[in-house]
Amino acid sequence: MDNISGEFALVISGHSLAHALEADMEAELLMTACACKAVICCRVTPMQKALVVELIKKHKKAVTLAIGDGANDVSMIKSAHIGVGISGQEGIQAVLASDYSFAQFRFLQRLLLVHGRWSYLRMCRFLCYFFYKNFAFTMVHFWFGFFCGFSAQTVYDQYFITLYNILYTSLPVLAMGIFDQDVPDRRSLEYPKLYEPGQLNLLFNKREFFICISQGIYTSLVLFFVPYAVLSNASQDTAEPLADYQTFAVTTATALVIVVSVQIALDTGYWTIINHVFVWGSLGLFFSIMLAMHSQTLFSSSPNQFHFVGSAQSTLLQPVVWLTIALATVICIVPVLAFRFLKLDLKPQLSDTVRYTQLVRQKKRKAVCFSGGAGVRGAAGSTSEGRLGARGGSRRSGYAFAHQEGFGELITSGKNMRLSSLALASFASRHSSSWIDTLRKKKHSHTPTPPGAASGDSSPAPSCVSGSAAPPLSNSPSVLGGSQDAAIEEEEARTPPPSPLQAKPGSSTSHARPPSTTLLAASESTQGPSTGGGPGDTAPSAQGESGGWTLSLGAVQEALSNWRSLGVRSSSPGPPSL
Amino acid sequence: MSKEENTANRPDNTAFTQQRLPAWQPMLSAGIVIPGFVIIGVAFIGIGVALFVTSQNIQVLEKDYTGIERNSSCFKCTNPRVKNCNCTINFSLDKLFEGPVFVYYGLSNYFQNYRKYGVSKDAVQLTGDLAYFTEPSTTCAPYQRDAKDKPIVPCGSIANSMFNDTFKLFQIVNSGNVEVPFDGKGIAWWTDYNIKYRNPTTNPLKNAFNDTVKPIFWPRPAYELDPTNSANNGFINQDFLVWMRRSALPNFRKLYRRITEGEYAKGLPAGDYALVIGYNYPVLAFEGRKKVVFSNVSWMGGKNQFLGIAYLVIGSLCVVMSIVMLIVYAKFKFPDEE
Repeated sequence: MDNISGEFALVISGHSLAHALEADMEAELLMTACACKAVICCRVTPMQKALVVELIKKHKKAVTLAIGDGANDVSMIKSAHIGVGISGQEGIQAVLASDYSFAQFRFLQRLLLVHGRWSYLRMCRFLCYFFYKNFAFTMVHFWFGFFCGFSAQTVYDQYFITLYNILYTSLPVLAMGIFDQDVPDRRSLEYPKLYEPGQLNLLFNKREFFICISQGIYTSLVLFFVPYAVLSNASQDTAEPLADYQTFAVTTATALVIVVSVQIALDTGYWTIINHVFVWGSLGLFFSIMLAMHSQTLFSSSPNQFHFVGSAQSTLLQPVVWLTIALATVICIVPVLAFRFLKLDLKPQLSDTVRYTQLVRQKKRKAVCFSGGAGVRGAAGSTSEGRLGARGGSRRSGYAFAHQEGFGELITSGKNMRLSSLALASFASRHSSSWIDTLRKKKHSHTPTPPGAASGDSSPAPSCVSGSAAPPLSNSPSVLGGSQDAAIEEEEARTPPPSPLQAKPGSSTSHARPPSTTLLAASESTQGPSTGGGPGDTAPSAQGESGGWTLSLGAVQEALSNWRSLGVRSSSPGPPSL
Repeated sequence: MSKEENTANRPDNTAFTQQRLPAWQPMLSAGIVIPGFVIIGVAFIGIGVALFVTSQNIQVLEKDYTGIERNSSCFKCTNPRVKNCNCTINFSLDKLFEGPVFVYYGLSNYFQNYRKYGVSKDAVQLTGDLAYFTEPSTTCAPYQRDAKDKPIVPCGSIANSMFNDTFKLFQIVNSGNVEVPFDGKGIAWWTDYNIKYRNPTTNPLKNAFNDTVKPIFWPRPAYELDPTNSANNGFINQDFLVWMRRSALPNFRKLYRRITEGEYAKGLPAGDYALVIGYNYPVLAFEGRKKVVFSNVSWMGGKNQFLGIAYLVIGSLCVVMSIVMLIVYAKFKFPDEE
């Protein structure tokens, strides 16, 4: 994670982003954007949203998350690592395309800090244990190979090998993978720093993997050599030797199941009733299935298959066998216990500290409540935060919708309306004068349109607009000028349906025309690349009408012309009919 | 109406689905771990002492009789061309060898745990199923049929390689040699004798073996394994059962007889003894060794030094670890918040 010093934000509109995402510029954009605390892209197309996400994905070693609620967020959601859709006002398009979905934006906090963190923790613990138990199980055959002439003789009964991963050890680790929590959800929200191990990949990396594997190999060494050393000279109290193959198999198998069960009991940090049932139940299942398979009934049905008849009963009644199993268990588990305790004392992680304080608090609460007589459920789980469901009535967020202009200009030009000029003026002043410019420019490509002059031989509409709109334009720079600042208010997550701006005046918060300047810039930039040779033409026309803020516009024009010379889109498919 | 629609889409609000199940959250606190280690350590030390002392009281006598050295009495028998060779091992006991005394034969470098060797038997045939007398299972190959294509009963490599040395023990007293009586009943597992291996129900037993041949290395067929005891023939012969229970490790011993009768029931008194061995079993081809072992047993079985010593070592390590952890905990005390 880069250290971002300074408090900068980058605001970039869709048209500028189109330039910035070109191949030679995107590294610059990335560097600039990553040096800022926040980046706001407004008026972007869905494709551009996806491109921004992919830019980050490609060049930064980070996991990206995209959240949106509309159909135009779908490409962004799909291209990010994690896509989150918000179901609600905009329909369920985003929900259908996303990995996670919920109803309110604020649930994102819980998704990341509580559920995402738990999921990472559970996955890492699950993986570690899974590798450990399989290495402990399999490597015993490797050591046995040295003593059986490398003939691939298995140490265990074939049915044990089949059922080990299916029945005897799968359920406890499954329960741990589903229910484990290291800290309760309230604390996870309280201490966002707990999220860090997930970002830094601390819980399962090469080092942790190596530790799991070595623990598995060490366990397999103990599980083979302790029975080997004990049973090779041992005999039952009836003097029959215990060194026969089937006794050895039963002893090793029992020791293995007990050791890995104790290990999962140590690994599980959150014992629900289901964990108890699964762990102790698996052990019980092992003993009952083994006794059933070594029974006489099954032998008589198929002597070739169940030739271990009588082994379990004969083996497990010997005290020496249980002493061997106890010895193997202690040799395997005691180092793990000591190591974990020392690590907890010497280098506690934040989650350990939080857990410890949580338990201390719980104990105190319990003590108080018991003394007080009231019974408070001292459950480790907390009630879910945040009420589900709507709060009565929909509440729209304060985001502006920005999109490229469509054909709204045509409508608002008033071409088809017979209003008095005043009405038209007030009507027009509520909207961007730049539309008028745009229209005019579109209609009259290379002719500088004098203010009010009817350049509109080709099209009466702009000329009418320009003619009538000219006076109010000079009156309204304050409105328009002041709205320059409001461009920052736009959020990148919101894009409107492609309707003309004037259709949503209510959605913008305060200013009449927040996107006016950007629209202006947008319109200019649209003009710029698309028209091969008319920047200079557009400038004077803008200058003619815009009055007070001609200067800023001119500067923008020049910048755009510079960009345009670099732009790839100098070749236009033909100038639009202006 | 809209409210009902809203609630219809809500997720379940149960403890299970919202991960609020009541749970026990253990923590490795010093109050549990350090006393736990001390308890385990002390318990292990106690058990270790008991095991060690018990093991020290068990007497074992081993005699290797492979006959490799030229001056050993069994050297003459190592010649494969000599048949029915007998050799004698003399030994003397300083004090009473407490009874009941058990006699084992031991083999070294003998891989009964070899996989192909281990599957080479027909479990159904050995339960006395006559259909498998005429058609032994193919797992017994190459000891399934002999050169004349007659079925071998009992088939397979394990049965074929049955140990056939015999032992007789004589105590040398002034008046001559007194044979020490051996008891060979019940030396195999009960389930082996009663469930896993059954003779065919044909009476006399010999008729069941018509049109079959004995295993190639056997001196006598299965129904004549024990001339002295007619009940000890066929598949339920005790020596056969002991041999068929294959060993897990390359150096093993198997129970041969026990000395429980007569005046030797209390043990072998001090004195001189002569062990007469019927040397039939060749092991030198694969550098194996043969030995005979006399031992007595206790509640924990035979002599087993490893168990006692291991328990003592682990117990003391646990106690040392608990002291170390106590020191670490005292120095870096886990901070108590609030």
